[in-house]
This record gives sequence, C-alpha cells and structure tokens, in this order.
Amino acid sequence: MTEADGDRAGRVSRLREGVESRALTALAVLTSAALVVAFYYPTATVLVEAVVVDGAVTLGVFAELLTDPFYFGEIARLFAGDSPIAVARALLSPDRRLGIVGFTAYQAVLSTVASVALGLPAAYLLARFEFPGRKTLRSLTIVPFVLPSIMVAVGFVATFGENGTLNAALTGIGLPLVDLMFTLEAVVIAHAFYNAPLVARVTTAAWESVDASAVETARSLGAGPVRAFVDVVAPQVYPAVLTGAALTFVFTFGTFPIVLALGGFQLATIEVFVYRLVRDLSYAEAAALAVVELAISLGVLLAYLRYEARNATSTRGARPLPRRSLVPSAPTLRELLPRAGLVAYVVVAGVVFLAPIASMVLASVTGGDGALTLDHYRFLIDRQQTGAAFQVRPWPAIRNSLAFATAATLLALPMGVVVAVLTTRRYRGRTLVDAAAMAPLAVSGIIVGLGLLRGLVFGVEIAGWRIAASGAVAIVVAHAVAGYPFVVRTVSPGLSGLDRSLVESARALGASRARVIRDVELPLVWPAVVAGAAFAFAVSIGEFTSTVVLATGADAYTMPVAIERFIGRRLGPATAMGVVLLVVTGLSFVVIERLGGEHRGL
Amino acid sequence: MTTDESETRRRRARPHTRRRFLTAAGAAGAAALAGCSAERVDDGGDGGDGTGNETGDGDDADGSDGDDGDDETPTLTVATYTNFIDAPSVSPGEWLKEEFESRYDAELEWATPDNEVNYYVERAASGAGVDADLYVGLTTEDLVRVDEELDDDLFAEAGEIEGSGAVREGLQFDPFDRAVPFDTGYVSLVYDGTTMEAPETFDGLLDDEHAGALIAQNPGGSATGRAFLLHTISRFGDGGVASDGDGETVSGEDGDPDYDYLDYWADLQENDVRVLGTWDDAYAAWSEGEAPMVVSYSTDQVFADMEGQDLEKHQIRFLNDQAYANPEGMAVFADADEPDLARRFMSFMLEPDVQGEIAQRNVAFPATEGAELPSDYAELAQEPADPVTFTYDELQGSVDAWVEAWERQFAGN
Amino acid sequence: MDSEPAGGGVDGDDRGDAEGGGDGTDAPVAVELDGVTKRYGETAAVDDVSLRVREGEFFTLVGPSGCGKTTTLRLIAGFEEPTTGAVRFGGESVAGVPPEDRDVGVVFQSYALFPHMTVGENVAYGLNFADPPEGTTRDERVAELLELVDLPDAADRDPESLSGGQQQRIAMARALAPGPDVLLLDEPMSALDARLRERLRAQVKRIQSELGITTIYVTHDQEEALAVSDRVAVMNDGTPEQVAPPRTVYREPATRFVAKFVGDNNTFAGRVVDATADGELAVDVDGGDETLRVAVGSDEEGQDATATRSPDVGDRIDFCVRPEHLRVASADEVADETAVPAGENTLRATVASAEFLGETTRVTLDWGDRELLVRAVDPLDGAVTVGFDPADAHVIEVEKQ
Repeated sequence: MTEADGDRAGRVSRLREGVESRALTALAVLTSAALVVAFYYPTATVLVEAVVVDGAVTLGVFAELLTDPFYFGEIARLFAGDSPIAVARALLSPDRRLGIVGFTAYQAVLSTVASVALGLPAAYLLARFEFPGRKTLRSLTIVPFVLPSIMVAVGFVATFGENGTLNAALTGIGLPLVDLMFTLEAVVIAHAFYNAPLVARVTTAAWESVDASAVETARSLGAGPVRAFVDVVAPQVYPAVLTGAALTFVFTFGTFPIVLALGGFQLATIEVFVYRLVRDLSYAEAAALAVVELAISLGVLLAYLRYEARNATSTRGARPLPRRSLVPSAPTLRELLPRAGLVAYVVVAGVVFLAPIASMVLASVTGGDGALTLDHYRFLIDRQQTGAAFQVRPWPAIRNSLAFATAATLLALPMGVVVAVLTTRRYRGRTLVDAAAMAPLAVSGIIVGLGLLRGLVFGVEIAGWRIAASGAVAIVVAHAVAGYPFVVRTVSPGLSGLDRSLVESARALGASRARVIRDVELPLVWPAVVAGAAFAFAVSIGEFTSTVVLATGADAYTMPVAIERFIGRRLGPATAMGVVLLVVTGLSFVVIERLGGEHRGL
Repeated sequence: MTTDESETRRRRARPHTRRRFLTAAGAAGAAALAGCSAERVDDGGDGGDGTGNETGDGDDADGSDGDDGDDETPTLTVATYTNFIDAPSVSPGEWLKEEFESRYDAELEWATPDNEVNYYVERAASGAGVDADLYVGLTTEDLVRVDEELDDDLFAEAGEIEGSGAVREGLQFDPFDRAVPFDTGYVSLVYDGTTMEAPETFDGLLDDEHAGALIAQNPGGSATGRAFLLHTISRFGDGGVASDGDGETVSGEDGDPDYDYLDYWADLQENDVRVLGTWDDAYAAWSEGEAPMVVSYSTDQVFADMEGQDLEKHQIRFLNDQAYANPEGMAVFADADEPDLARRFMSFMLEPDVQGEIAQRNVAFPATEGAELPSDYAELAQEPADPVTFTYDELQGSVDAWVEAWERQFAGN
Repeated sequence: MDSEPAGGGVDGDDRGDAEGGGDGTDAPVAVELDGVTKRYGETAAVDDVSLRVREGEFFTLVGPSGCGKTTTLRLIAGFEEPTTGAVRFGGESVAGVPPEDRDVGVVFQSYALFPHMTVGENVAYGLNFADPPEGTTRDERVAELLELVDLPDAADRDPESLSGGQQQRIAMARALAPGPDVLLLDEPMSALDARLRERLRAQVKRIQSELGITTIYVTHDQEEALAVSDRVAVMNDGTPEQVAPPRTVYREPATRFVAKFVGDNNTFAGRVVDATADGELAVDVDGGDETLRVAVGSDEEGQDATATRSPDVGDRIDFCVRPEHLRVASADEVADETAVPAGENTLRATVASAEFLGETTRVTLDWGDRELLVRAVDPLDGAVTVGFDPADAHVIEVEKQ
C-alpha cells in the first residue's frame, strides 16, 4: 500500500474514536499479557525442565517416559520400536497393560460417559419442563463444581460407604448391600458428580435455543415426535453435548485428589505421579509427564474445537420450544413415559448428587458421639473471634472468596470475550490459537502452582531488578486466567453464529469494533456471557492451588483454603466450613443468574 | 514495516525502551498494587516485603512489619508447615509466638508456604533469596531431598545451641549438624477396639480375618504413608531395589533375604489393603467405618480424649512392638538475616517448659530429656518399645527408588 | 486470443465517463477505485478494477454471482482492504480507514437489523457516532427517516415483527440516518418477491434522487440495474466489462459477455468478407453458409465505438442483434416479398420452443445448429424466415488480422 495511511486523520473526532477503536487491540494486548504473566511464562518455566536437564537440551527424559510400559503399557513397545502389529495384538489380548496414561484415559472416558448419561436427563428436565423452582435448581447445578475434593470424599463415604446412607436405604427395602468404596465405580460416580452438571448446563442451553418452528416444520412434514427429535432437536443439541463431554474428559483426565480419596492408589492417574515427582523435586520427569498429559488433553480439545468450528449454528432469534408441565396432561403412554423416566432419574440424581451433599451437611451437625450438635459452627465463630492474625478465619475467607471471585469474573469476562472475538475470525491456525487459549484447562494444576511460585512469587530478574507479584492482585489474575476459558467456550459459539452483516452494519454506521462488541454482539449472546461469568465465578470460588501459592498471608485466604485448614481428626469443622461454602456459592449463583436474566448459555 | 531496515531499527531500539518500561512499571506496580514488587537484585536480600507467604500479623497496630531499622525490634521469620500454627484442634504456633516475644525483645513472624521446605529449595534454586530465618519441622527425608537438589547449603550448621545437649539419644538425624530435633512422633496403627483386635505383627495383617481391614496412605503424598512404607522396608528389607545408587541394600529384620517389602506389599494388596491419597482421606474413611484400622499417629488417644470420644474406638497398635519414628528438626537458613536470633529461638524451643508445650500442642513427643509434661501425658500418648527409623545415610539415594518401586508394583496397570 | 473490448472503455480513462456519461459528467468524483485487486489466496475476487463514481450518481454493479461485485462494494465500505490498488473517497485514499470512519451507509441483503433493538433504536444507532443535521434532534431525525421510508409508525416495533420489505426499508432508513456521503446497497432486494421488488426499487430510486446521495448498488438482476441506475458497471470474473448508462449497455454492449448478460440477445461471430463505402460489412457467419450484412457506425447514439477501429476485410468480428429487432414470418409468407423488406438479412430457421410472456412471446428458433431468440406477437410454428436490418446489428468485438 503506497498511499500514506490515515489521510483522513485530520478529523477532529478522530482522537476520541481512535482511543475507542483501539480498545479491542488494547484489550487483546492486556489479555495476552495477563496470560503470559500468569500462565504461559510460569508454566513454561516448569515444562521446559522436561527437555532442559542441567542446562543441556535433551529428549532423553521423554524417550525414557514414552518407552516405559508402566506409563504407556503396550503402547510403550511401539515407542520402543516394536512392530505395530505385535503391539496391536498385545492390546487385544485380555491381559494387556494400559499403563498409567492408558488407565487415566480409560477412567476419563468412563467418567465422561457417566457424566453425559447423568447430565442429559437433567438437561431434558430443565430445558423442556416447567416447574416451581426450576430457575433456582438450574442456578444450583453449578454448586458441585466448587466443592473441594475432600468434601466430596466425605459426602461420598457417608453415602456410598459400607455404613453409608445408600446401604442403609438398601437394607431398609431388603436389597443386598453394595460396596462401592475404593472402586473405579466410586471414582467415576464422583467425576460425574462434578461434571454431569456441566454437561447438563451446556446441553440445557442448546436445547432451549432449538427453534420451535424447526420442530414444527418437521412435524408438519410428517415426522413423529421421536423422529422430529432425532432429525431436528438432536443435531442442534449434539454439539453442546460434545462441548460438555470434551471439557469433562479434560477435567477427569487431569483428576487428582478425588481418585486417591475414593479409589485408592491402585487407581492412580497421571496427575498423582506428577504430584509425587514435583514433591520429590524430580522436575524433569514431572515436567515430561505433565507435557504428555497436556498433549493428550489439548489433542482432545483441538479435535473438539475443529468440530465446533465446522458446526457453528446460528443462535439468533429463535423461538424456544414451549416448556411442558411436569404433571401429565393426559394419562397416555406418550405423556407418562417421559415423566416416569424423569422420576427414575430424579431418584438416581438424588443418590448421586443430593445424598453426598446432604451427608456433608449432616456431618457438619454431627458430634463425635453421633448426636446432633452445632459445635462445629460454634468452632467457626470461635475461630473467627479468637483466631490469631496468622490463622485462617472464616469471615475473611468468605469475604476474600467473594471479592476475588467477583474481581476475577470481571477480569475473565473481557479476556474471554476478546479471545472469543479473535478466535471467531477466520484465519489459518485459528483452532490452534483457540486450543492454546484453552490450555489453562488442560495443564496440570500442580505444574501451574509451581510455575506461579517461580514466575510470579519469586519473580523475574530483568536488568538488575526482580519483578515479583503475589497477594490479592496476583490471585485475582490467576483465577481469571483459570476461569476465562469458560467465557470463551460459552461466548464463542454464539459469536460465530451471529450474522456477520450485523457487525458490519454497525461499523458502517460509525461504531468502532469494540463498540460493536458492546452494542450488538454481546447483547445478542448475553445469555452465554452470563453463563461464562457464572463459570468464571465458580472456578475462582473453588480454586485452591494458585491461591495458596500466591497468598501473602492469612489475609488472602479463601473458603477452600479455610476448609483445608480446618480438616483435622474430626471432620466437623471442615464440613461446617464446607456448608458455608455451599450456601455462599449457591446464593451467589442464584443472584448472578437473576441479574443476568433467564439465559440460554451454559 | 516489512523492510529489513526498519526491522533492524526496531530491534536495536527495543532493549532500551523495554528496560525503561519495566522499571517504571515495577515502581508504579509496587506503589499501586499490594503484593507487586520490584526490587534491586544486588540490594542484598533485605527486602522480604510482601513476597512469599509470610503470615505475620501485618495488620497489628504498631506496624513495625519491616526489618529495615537497626534500633527497632528485630523480626524473626520462622518458616514451618501450616498445621504447626493453624490446626482446628491445637497447634503450638500462637503460644510459641507470644512466649518468645515476651521473653526476648523480638518479633516473631510465621511463614507457612504451601510447598513447605520445597518452597525454600525453589527460592534458593531460582536465586530469589530465602526470606526466612529458620525452618521448623524438617524431617530426615527433607534434608536428604534438599541436599540432593541444591549444590549450596540451604541450612547453616546449628553450632552451639544452648540446651541441645538435652536432646534424647537417637533423635539426632542430621549427620551435618544443621537440624536440631524439637519433637518426634511415631506412626503406628490406630484401630477400633470395639469391632476388632488388631494383629500384633506385620504378618498378622496378612491374615484372612483382616482382609480389607487396613487403610494406609500414598507414600508419595503423605508423611504417614511414607513412614509406614519405610517401616515395612525396615522390617522386610528393600530387596536391593535402590542398590544402583550406592550399592547398599537394606536387609530386613525378618531375616528372610528372599522376602522383601515389595513381596510384603504384594501380600498386603492381596489382602485388600486400601492405600488412599492423604492422611485426611484415610482418617475420614476410617472414621466412617470403612475399615477398622488406619495408619496414623500413636498420639491418637490424646485427641480422642480431648474430644471426649470413646478411647476403646481409638486403640493404638505397634506392629512387632515397633513404630516408625519421625523426629522433627529445626535449622537456620544459611542466609538468614537474623542468624543469632534464630539460634536463640532454637534454644528457646529446647527449654523444658517449651518442650512440654510443643509436645502437647503439636500432640507429639518432646525431643529432650526433662521436658515438663503432665504426668498422665504418657498414658494417652504412647511410645513404642522399639522405635524404628532410617538414618540420613540410609535414606540418601534410596528413598526415591523405594517409593518408585512400590508405586510401580502397586499401581501397575 | 487477442480480442479486446471494443468500446465503453473501462480502463479508468475519462473517455469512458465522457462517452458513457449523459449525467453528472461535471460533478466531482465521489468514489474512485484505482487498479484495485483483491486476492483470496490464489484467486482474485476483484481483478485490477478502476471505476469512478460521481457525486449524486446512482451507480450499479451488476453481474452474475461470483463476479466480484459484492467484494468491490465491501472494499469501498472498508470491510476488506485491497491487495493492491487504491480506493479513494473525494480524491483521498482511505487505505487503513476502518468502515466506521468512511461515512458510508450500508444496506445488506439480510437487512441485518439489530434484533435486540426496536426499529427506532435501530434507526437511531448511527446517531451515536454522528450528530443529526443541524436543527434536528435525534428523535426528529429518526421520525424524519421513518417518514422517508413510509413507515412513520414503526419506531417502537420489534424488527422481527416486520415483513421483509418493511425490514428492508428500515435498514435503508438506518443507513441514511447519520447522513452518509455514500450509500452502499448490497443486493437489498434479492430476498423479496418480484412485485415487491419492483415497488421498492422505485422507492429506493425516489429516495436517492430526493436526497441526491451518491449510491452504489449491487445486484445480480440486470433488469433492476437498468431500471434504477444512472450508470451501470457490468462485472464478470472480477472485472467490469462495461461501464455506461443503462441505455448504452443495452444497445451497445461492449463485450460478448455484456451482450449476453444484459437482456436477451443473439450473438454472432464471423469473418468480414466485404466492406462497402457506406460502412456496411458482409460477414461470413461461423457454422453456416450465410453471409450477413452488418452496418457499422450507424447506431442510434451515433457513437459506435467500433468506428474508431473499423473492421477491414479479413477481420473476425462479433456482433449482436436484439430479439426485438428480428422480424419473423412463417415460411409460407416468404413468397410474399413484403415479409422481409429489401436490404435486410434473411435467415431460415425452425421454431424450437416458445414462452408466452403476455405482451409478447419469446420464441427460440433452431438456426442450423445454433439458436436464435425472437419476439413474436402471434403464435409461430414450423419453418420460419427471420430478417433484420443491418443497422440493428451491433458490432461487439473486432479481432484484427
């Protein structure tokens, strides 16, 4: 371009508009900076140890890892140079070795299937039926997401254990006892406890945005209700289910404390070993293992993102399907069957979701002698009043949790929106950028924690200065980085589904790119924005690892830290704090989603 | 900007601008944002302001948080693990701080980084400077790990510590005299005496009647789990799994060279032992009655008594009359700002009344002879006839291999 | 092949404007494309286009889909930047100037009304960034524009409650509200039914001439293009093949493509075998034995561009004759000399098919192995004789030998 740029720059109004028009660029730069400072750089300081050992670049650590049958099972032989046919035969044989990596993937797949199976009926219930408390129930579905694993473990033992509620109920109705604890099943159910609500939320959103007229058209063309569902509804809901499934896989692939708490060491996953290696300061092996873990998680995310990019559906202006009453309108099979199914589901959901939470609540009011007591709550009050300044006290923890979550959400929103806008544009390698932006979901939490310690707390030495960051601001940034991928994932499909000419019309009318996002795009995908905000909030509330690394003192501790601190021989104090977390989180979500209005997002 | 010329120009300009920006940003950041700091590296390690996990009572009215003045009260930064200062039941932190400050003209600040000793290893390795004066709660394994990781010493030699002569024999675990023990604990079995009688020996755990009866912890993530694993190694030998390191093997007390700890664990696993992640997981599951035995501390009844629980449900079993001993030590950091004060604190920790308080509040056993303890303390806090522990030299070069070999056997998929 | 457009120059030279002008010749250039090329990977969507649109002009880009007309419009609007070449507004380059700073109004095929705003809010949106004309408030401006598009009471309505035609008019009002310098219309009517389209295009034309706003209109409908435009650029393969007033484009298509694309036409190719002093050529038409006579330089406008490079004997030429200039008589009437006046070309053909259009019938004839299109009032059948005046033939291209 030979013409001098900005020939029209002489215009008076250009200055203000200039600022506005650069808002997007500025936001993108700030987002990248936040990601680099609070994620990529810190993580890289650790991951690089996989290939740099004693200052020399080597692939030896990887080679050793990849050819180790302990980690890679039969596949390791492939890396070691065995013939693929022999390996394939070994894999098909009944006594094949999966290796830790294979087993981790295996349990993640099972967990994903279970989460989808438990999430879909909930989506059906929430999307297609009207009943009192539906919105509140919907808001509360996010609660499992924030519960520390020890709380879930407590709830699960109390529910599914030998002397648990489930067995008591089974005995009551004369059925044989089940022994679920310390099995793969228990781990899978716990993963479903965490992730089925996620699947349900995503799917509900998609289901609610299915255009009624499309279904009506199908029906008018002679399709029965089932056929109309298969042909019209399912294809529109399917991508959302896949979103939930992909995220569930990634989360359960990186699972750590819950596996050992409910399954035991014989079910150890990759992350268990990353943790141990980091603890033993065996960074090269830890980093190599974390890279393998990251590669697999990102691979799944990448595959999913490619799918999402190909299947962007328009979200604009749909007339939602009318909700039905839970009370059948007529005693016909077609009316009764789905409701009977839902009743069965509610029983299952009661056991999987409600019982553990109820058990936790019960544990918080049960004393050492088994009698009901408020002692544990008295402990909280007592600790608040008499705890030393350097000890974790309940009220600052609640206050910090809410403040950090609010600030992190406010930061994660623009970050997520900017990345969503940038990844909705068409260019080569877009899905790669998108996947890289999702990396905070996929990197081992332990590695991120160590990275933050090195990159932020210790800081970087530049030209004789050591720049370090910790405390509230750093915690908020770290939480925002952890939560923003959810904003991207909720907002991005909506944005890419928007008619491009809406954006262009607004720009031709004089609006800058940033202004168009504010005036046109965000209002049109608002439900997704609220949904993303809810997840960012939840991630921040539940976050533990980076919080304890970055906290500068008891002043910066949050509710999950308080719970961890209150765990002792008796579970009462910790469960009482857990109940506080539950209540605070539940209330927050009801408020957030009321503020955001009825939404169609996650 | 695509020509080579402009690219070169930009490159040349960059370092200058960059530095100016960072200096400015650092200064502004330190002023504006809590916890963001920029400090000159060659200033000496004087500015521990705000970085790290110092949990001092910074919001005290006197505000004498900084340690920059000579004539002001000196501040001693004591690093430790969180339970030492903040546990739901009791912890010695608060008492120690008040007592120390009342006896000496000094202020005590606790620092409890999440990664514990590893935090300081990391700090030292990354050149960030260790921002504490001493560490309280070192174990033999910590020292082994620290020494393997760092070329330079993280800790200084203890030197003359008043009262260190009173430390009980056999507790000294640092061959280089850096760490001074201040308490010890024993990892044993805790069992519910209302439902079972625990076996008296390791072999007894393999009996059919105890199938699925024991909950242990992951040796890779839990101190009790590791202690129990080490105890089995001491009992059955390591079968030479760590011999590539130093050519040493541990031969078990059982006297059978063909039966090592891995064989024992294979039998345990066969007998449905549960190995959970942490002591929290394990103790919670045990409390819920998932199994009648759990690997825990021999002081369990102290807690049970404190909480008014049925002691019959909290029985202690020392297998083969043994328990693995975990002495805890304290050591001064090599580049402590207040090394003398730190050593005075160490003496303070060894004083008889303080030893008694630590033992009671940390629910452990004193490290010195003559600690002042209530006469009935020993009734509830039980000590084994034959404490077992590996020395620094035995652990060095072996412990990682022992744990790894165990992992590979136990979790082999 | 060395064929070149024979006339209606598109090379950006003033001659094209001057010759094709007829209106606004003296008005300053509002929008200029100078050698603009837009590539997507290897393919050029717009290939070295040079155009000038005068102030107040209603300028139409017409062509089949994929010809680059919409891309050209998007380059003008600033939604795309040219790969090479310059876009100028009022003589100044707008390279790097984002759409919001170009003072253009755009109406899309999909109307793109903001579904979360009322009609009034839609129309008022652009007034967030530009003041309404002096002496008017924002509300007055909105009312004024709704009045202009004949939807005075729609302000509080929800865009999705409006019919397609109404939405189109609101989109127009919205684009005009901030008082843009240039109005860009991208197939604004293609989603509407034929009758509504006719009505709306009259309205668009009325509004345009009332406001005197420079308008660039993109359509694939040549009839629409001819009906509303001051000048038309017929685009093909990323290049305008002819830029001229509708009448010229229709009567004197500059290229074979224009001849075929704009209206029904019969095109012939052949070799000049004789040329008379009065400018008449005898042409041996390819694929048959006939020799047809073609008059050069006697077109109605008297400005046949081919005159400047008159064909000589031996040259190859393309020419065309509009169906309405072909006279048809049934073969029986051939004996009757009056059926084909003296001096006209005479062809023999047979009726292949006929479409009854009401006023006339469009008849396709088989002429050898080629086809001819004619208009007939009476039904035709069987063998026919076709005649045309050499003066009604228009020479499109000349290939010098």
